[in-house]
Order: sequence, then structure tokens, then C-alpha cells
Amino acid sequence: MFHRRPLVVLISAATCAVVLSLRAAAADSIPSVLVSRQLFTSEKLSIGDVVTLSANRAGADPRQFRVAGSYKPLPDPMRLGAVRHEVRMHLPDLINMTADPRDPMSSETVDAINIAITKDTKGGNTTKGKDTKSSDTDARTAETFAQDLATRLPGLIVRPTAVGADRAAPFIVLERFHLAIAIVTVIASSIFLLALMLMLVDERRSTVGILRLIGYRRSRILIYVFVEGLIIAAAGAAIGIVIAAAFQGGVNQFFQWRYDTALVFVRITPAIALRSISMAVPLGVLAAVASSWTLLRRDVFALTRR
Amino acid sequence: MIAARDLVKTFSMPAGPVHALRGVSLDIAVGEYLAIRGPSGCGKSTLLHILGCVDAPTSGALAFDGRLVQSLPDADRSALRLRGIGFVFQRFFLLPMLTAAENIDLPQAEAGIGREARRRRTAELLDYIGLSHRADHRPSQLSGGEAQRVAVARALANRPRLLLADEPTGELDRTTGEQIATLLDRVQRDGTALVVVTHDPAIAERAERTLMMRDGQITGEEERKVREGRG
Amino acid sequence: MNVTGRALVFAGRNLLRQPGRASVGILGIAAVGALLLDMLLLSRGLVVSFRDLLDSVGFDVRVLASDAAPMGGPRLPDAPIAVQQLAALPEVDEAMMVRFVDASVDETAAHKFVHFSMTAVDLGRRRPWTVKGGQDLDSAAGAAILLNPRLAEALHAKPADVVSIRVACVTERAALPPVTFRVSGIAEFPFDDATWLGGAASSDTVMRACGGGVVPADMILVASRESFGAEAAAAAIRRVRPDLHPVTNEEIVTRMQQQGFTYFRQISAVLSTITMLFGFLLITVLLTVSVNQRLGEIAALRALGFSRRRVAADVFWQSALLVGVGGVLALPLGFVLALWLDRILKAMPQIPATLHFFVFEPRALVWQAILLVVTAVLAALYPIRLVVTLPIAATLRNEVIG
Repeated sequence: MFHRRPLVVLISAATCAVVLSLRAAAADSIPSVLVSRQLFTSEKLSIGDVVTLSANRAGADPRQFRVAGSYKPLPDPMRLGAVRHEVRMHLPDLINMTADPRDPMSSETVDAINIAITKDTKGGNTTKGKDTKSSDTDARTAETFAQDLATRLPGLIVRPTAVGADRAAPFIVLERFHLAIAIVTVIASSIFLLALMLMLVDERRSTVGILRLIGYRRSRILIYVFVEGLIIAAAGAAIGIVIAAAFQGGVNQFFQWRYDTALVFVRITPAIALRSISMAVPLGVLAAVASSWTLLRRDVFALTRR
Repeated sequence: MIAARDLVKTFSMPAGPVHALRGVSLDIAVGEYLAIRGPSGCGKSTLLHILGCVDAPTSGALAFDGRLVQSLPDADRSALRLRGIGFVFQRFFLLPMLTAAENIDLPQAEAGIGREARRRRTAELLDYIGLSHRADHRPSQLSGGEAQRVAVARALANRPRLLLADEPTGELDRTTGEQIATLLDRVQRDGTALVVVTHDPAIAERAERTLMMRDGQITGEEERKVREGRG
Repeated sequence: MNVTGRALVFAGRNLLRQPGRASVGILGIAAVGALLLDMLLLSRGLVVSFRDLLDSVGFDVRVLASDAAPMGGPRLPDAPIAVQQLAALPEVDEAMMVRFVDASVDETAAHKFVHFSMTAVDLGRRRPWTVKGGQDLDSAAGAAILLNPRLAEALHAKPADVVSIRVACVTERAALPPVTFRVSGIAEFPFDDATWLGGAASSDTVMRACGGGVVPADMILVASRESFGAEAAAAAIRRVRPDLHPVTNEEIVTRMQQQGFTYFRQISAVLSTITMLFGFLLITVLLTVSVNQRLGEIAALRALGFSRRRVAADVFWQSALLVGVGGVLALPLGFVLALWLDRILKAMPQIPATLHFFVFEPRALVWQAILLVVTAVLAALYPIRLVVTLPIAATLRNEVIG
């Protein structure tokens, strides 16, 4: 004889299991998408949410998709101000959503096919570890492949993705622009530095005059000026780099917040620091020596007279 | 012309207050020649600055032609110094980028006097001080005595009724100092009241009245026989 | 001469006392002033140039299938019907379909393909290009093409030459045979960049090259009637065809300002601020040191009767002279610098060759003058404060002791 209670529990558990498995089957039938971080945040989505997407502005023919996760879109300086509300889905799902039902071929059409060429496509010759200009080799290989494919399949447009050395990429152009601005600011800074040095030197007029009266040679005084200028310029350059490094984080945080991007706007590298020092120190020393020379070449009594 | 009553001047210093003047009272008549003497730090330059409306007393009253100076706004005090009072400094303070003539012209231009009138007055003053031939020379091209004479001429440019001189011969040698003293004599004889702070006996003995100061107070007064030519 | 005139002359004399220092100050202001002017030009240069570029095409409204950027969204499937409807509107003077297709020339002898972009338009009164050589397209002249100079060079083609072109049409799945085109002329297309290979042909010619099929349009260019204007035309289009998205030139410019040009506006704002700060620091330091070296002299002038206002005016006019002369020198420097920077930035890919980043506008000069005046005033504040609060008696005493 069966006890009633244990039988009820058993049936309930089985029912639950059936219901759960039915639900799982339904959930699995909803295709998944990845949502860009910006869209994920702005729409306050969570992983597992079911969203409705349509390829039609009016919202016609909507389809359901499950949010499988979010991704960070590749930061693109050329799209700095753009709001990156994007979704990535499996190609069949996209075709399913966008194909024109009146055109049977539309489900067989894509906009582009991306191709990655393997490195040892030519007769088993490997170039592993020996090619010091692998990027050039890849570019040439891609170009050759593109020509070959276009010949075999007329009507196809086949383009290598590598940018030729003679084409000015946006980054290179911006780098040149920034360099031009930097040159102008260095010139202006040098003028400022010269002004400061002239004033500093002028304040020491009587001191220099007395030293000359005592018998100090010009060259000896210039050496003092050189050493002092070197110390001041080196200290100034070092402090400048420290300040720039301290501000770097704040600048990046501000602009990353402002444009909702992961782009890094300012990066102080050892090479940049070294370049700054190599410009600042000689400029500082030159300004000190040049402005001191304008004083030293004057007559001794002109320096000491009130 | 000038009446000063119970002038007190205290400077607040980190080491403690310095009482430069401790209740000084004096009167200066029109055309009077007054010398103020005393050891260094006795307050004579401080007194001169207060009489010249360059500094304000901590307490006390100063009246110029019956007008209380402390109640005047800064612009009015500047106008009083420009037109009523002339200053001669120990260190001349001529503007180095201006010629002798231009230095004398400067306060006249500031007083709004027309160009032709200024030109006449400047020529007159250069002649007065005997430096007409150095009109276009800059201060760096003048000797100490010449520079101080130009400074006196500049102080007289707007015909002040009172000329204040603070150690006018302090940076000059004895001979040159005598020349300046003679010039100041002439200024006073021509009707300008003169108050001179000095260590130089050559200047002091020419004054009609000499005040002795010590520790911020007037300790004595000497009157000299009135010179010929003045009643 | 009034107080201002006297102070100005006096300030000039004071600056000439230290010609080296004054020269350096003026040069410094000239350098930063040049950069400031350029940043002011840059802040609106792209907008002004882009607006001029859009207007130069001759059409002031673009009709698209969605609110995506032109060529970035879906095509207009029923464009011929839409063109007829729009052209019938009283607010519209002319409507023209535009299609962009890919094309290539197969030079099998050299195994070299030249890919280019072809623009297919209805031949109306307005032509969105400028013919530089040969003749313009003529609907009666058969299969003719206009080449831009880069494409003509790449194909070694000149007017009257014959070129075999394969057109990649959207609706076709198989490769189409090449079609012979006669080169009608060489033309400049306003939106071509320095390396762009492009050409134009009539819509009929392109559709024939596509096997006679319908090629959806990428957009419809609309020119509004002068008495109505672009806004009215766009509103009328929305009423008649609410499914279409008309966008005026001004709206495109606004969108580009908010997205595409934002980097340059930011850098313009940042560098303008830095240059003003630089100029402010330079003048403040110069004047403050100058005042500190002349304290006795200033105290003597105050003792002689110069008012506070008078000595302050002297300092102010020194600042004004340094900044003013430097600012004037900054103009030619700024123009030369702008030419250089513009040349650098125009090398950016996909930037139309006729677009400029630095465009001269009188308002930039006005703004520069205003900002330099502000700089001069602010820079003079601290040294003015020094002279007006100068204790005359104490300074005279210190000068004697010193």
C-alpha cells in the first residue's frame, strides 16, 4: 500500500521537472545577441533579458532575441562623438530578419566576406620566426590574393585591409597635426623662457658687475650660468613630466566620460618623456647662456653704475 | 600755512611696535625756511612724509591752509601734492628714460598745463638751475649735482607753495652740496616755503628755524637771525 | 593730451627702456596670438567649409530612406515615384535621384584592376559636379561617363576615349559583362577626397549597364524654390511622404558638428584656453618684474602728485601695448600657420579635397581681439594692484636704505 503524501510529492516534482524542461526548450529557441556596452547601459539591460529588434524603423516584423552579454565596441577615433548603440548577432539571424521575402536570393546575399589568410599558404613554405618584416609580407600576400580572386571571380570587389605606406591614415595625420601644434607651443615657451631669463639676468646686473670688477673672467661667469641653467632646466623638465603624468589620468577620465569611450587620449611614455627632456634642457641652458651673454658683453662700469 | 597737532606715527613690526612720532606739533608759515635735524631713526623723515601728505599719521591732525588733510580722499591728496607741494629726494628719482627737460615737463603735463606754457616754464626752470645747455641729456649723462638740480626744478614745476626736501645733499660731495644749498636758498627767497630734513650743517645753518628731534619728539628749536631782504 | 594719452605715451617710453624685454614679450604674444587665431578659425572652419560644400552642390535638401547618414542606411526602393511626387510640390524646384555603385575597369593586359565609385544621376538642370575638361554629360549622347582627374590618370584616359567598365549592381547576383563607355569629360566632384577614384554617368546609362534592372536610389537631392526655402521644402516632403527622411543642409551640418567635428571643437577650445593662459602669464610676469624694479620711481611719482589712477593707467597701457602690438603681429603669423595646419589636416582620408579646416571669418578676428583685450586686462590686474597699494613713504625709505 502506498502512503498518500510521498506520492503527491513525487508527482509535484515530476510536474515541476516537466514544466522546467518545457521552459528550457522555449528559452533555447530564442536566438541570442551581444549588445554594445553603451546600449546595455542606456537601456538598463541585464544578461538573459529578452529584447525585441526590428530592421524596420516603424518596428514592423519584430523579432525576439536574448541578451547573451555585452561587448565593448572597438574604440574608433573617427567616430568619437557617435553613440555606439550596436548589436551583434549570428549571421543567419540577421539574414532572417532583413531578407526581402519577395526576393528568394536575398537570403543568400551578404555585404562582404572577411578573409584571413594563413601564413603558410604557399607550397608548405613556412615563414615562422624568420621573417623580420612579416607585416610587409602579409600585405604583399593579401594584395596578390586579392588580385588572384578578382581575376577568378569577375565582378567581385576584393580589397586588402592593410593600409599602404603611402596613404595617410587618420592617426598619422592627427599625429602630424599634434606635432605642428607642439612645435608652435615649444617656440612660444622658448620665448617665455627667454623673457624670464632676461629679467633674471637683469636683476643680477650689479652682482655680475662686482664679480667682473674683482677679476672674474667672462668665461668663468658663463660656466656658473651654464651650470645653474642646466640645474633649473633639468628640474623644470622633470617637474613638468611629473605634472603631465599626474594630469594624464584626469584628462583620460574626463574625455572617456565625455565621449563614453575606452579610447586613451593622453599617454606619457618613456620615449615622450625623454623627448621632452631632450628639448627642454638644451632650450633652458641656451636661454640662460644667451641672456647672460647680453649682460657680460657690456662694459664693467656699465654694469655697476646706478 | 601748515598746522600739525599731536602727530603720532606707530609702525607695527613683527618684533613689536615702533613709535616713530610721539606727539609732534608744529606750524609752518608761508615762505618759511625750516630745517629738521636729529640722529638717525629719530622720526624726521617720517615727519616730512606726513607733512607732504605721502603718509598718514596714526593719530593727530594736519591742516594745509586750514583744510584737514586726513579727511581728503586719495585723489585730492594727490592733487595737493601735484600743485601745492614739491618733493626733492635724496636719491633724485629722475625718470631715466626722459631727458632733463622732459623730467621737468612731466608734473606740468600731469597738472593739465598746455604745451606752450609748459615749454616756457621748463625753459625758465632750466635757466633757473643753470642747466639750459643740458636740457636734452638723460639722467645717466648728468652728474649727481646736476641731477639733483633737475630734481629741484621738477619739484618747482607747478609753482608749489611748499617744497619738502629729504636729505637733498645726502648723496653729494661737499662742494656739490653747497651748490644745492645755495639753490634751495634762492627757492625760499623767491617765496616758496621750504622744509629740509638734513644732517648737513651747510643746509641747516641757512634755515630760519631749526627743529631738533629725538625719539619721535621735538626736543628743541633754534631760530636764526632773519636774513637781509626779508621783513 | 588727456590722462589716457599721457599714460599711453608714458607706457610706451617705459617699454622702450627695456627693448629686449619688450620685444620678447611682444614676440611671445605674437606666437600665442597666432595659435589662438588658428584655434578660433578651426572651431568653425569645418562647419563653414562643410556648409559651403553642401551648398555648392546646388541642392539644399537630401531625402533618405532612414535617418542614417547618406550612404550609411537603406536605399529608397520606389525612388522614381518619389521623385515625381516631390518634383510636383510647389516648394520644390528640382528633384534628382542619386545612386552610388561600384565599378571596375579590368586591364587584363597588366592584370591590374582599377576599382572606383560611380555616381548615377538623372540629368537635370543642376549637376553636382564641375566640368574641367571635355564636355558635360548629355542624355542624347549614349553611354558616356565623366571621370574625376585621379581616375582619368589611373586609366590613362582623356575626353573622347573609350573605356570598358564593369558595373557592380545591387540586384544582380552574377557578374555582368563590361560595358563600353565614352569618356565625355573630366570633372571635379565636391565630395571627392585627394585619392578618391570616381566618375558619374546618367541613371539610364547605369541601369542599362546593370542589365536594365531597377537600381534603388541612395538618396534624392532636392533643390527648394527660393521663395520657400529648405525648411519649407523639407516640411512639405514630410507631409506628402511621411515614410521618407528629408534633411536640410543645415541639419546635416548640425549633425556633423555634434559628431564628426567634435574632436576639432574640443582641441580648439583646449588650445584657445592654454594660449590665453600662456599670454596672461607672460604679460603678468613681465609687468610684475618691471614694476618691482621701479618701485622707488613709482613711489617718487606718487609723492610728486601722480594719482593712483594715473600710475595704474601706466601699467594698464603697458599691458595693452604689449598685447596690442603682439596681437597685430599675430595676424600674418596666424594666417601662415593656418595654411600649414590646414595642409596637414586635409591629408586625412575621406576628407573632400575642397573642404578646409581653417576658414577665415571676420568674427574670428573679432573674437581674437576680444580675448586678447581680456588677457591684457587680466594680466595687468596684479601689477596694477601692486602700484595702487604701494606704501609711498615706506617705499621711499626702503629705497634710501637699500
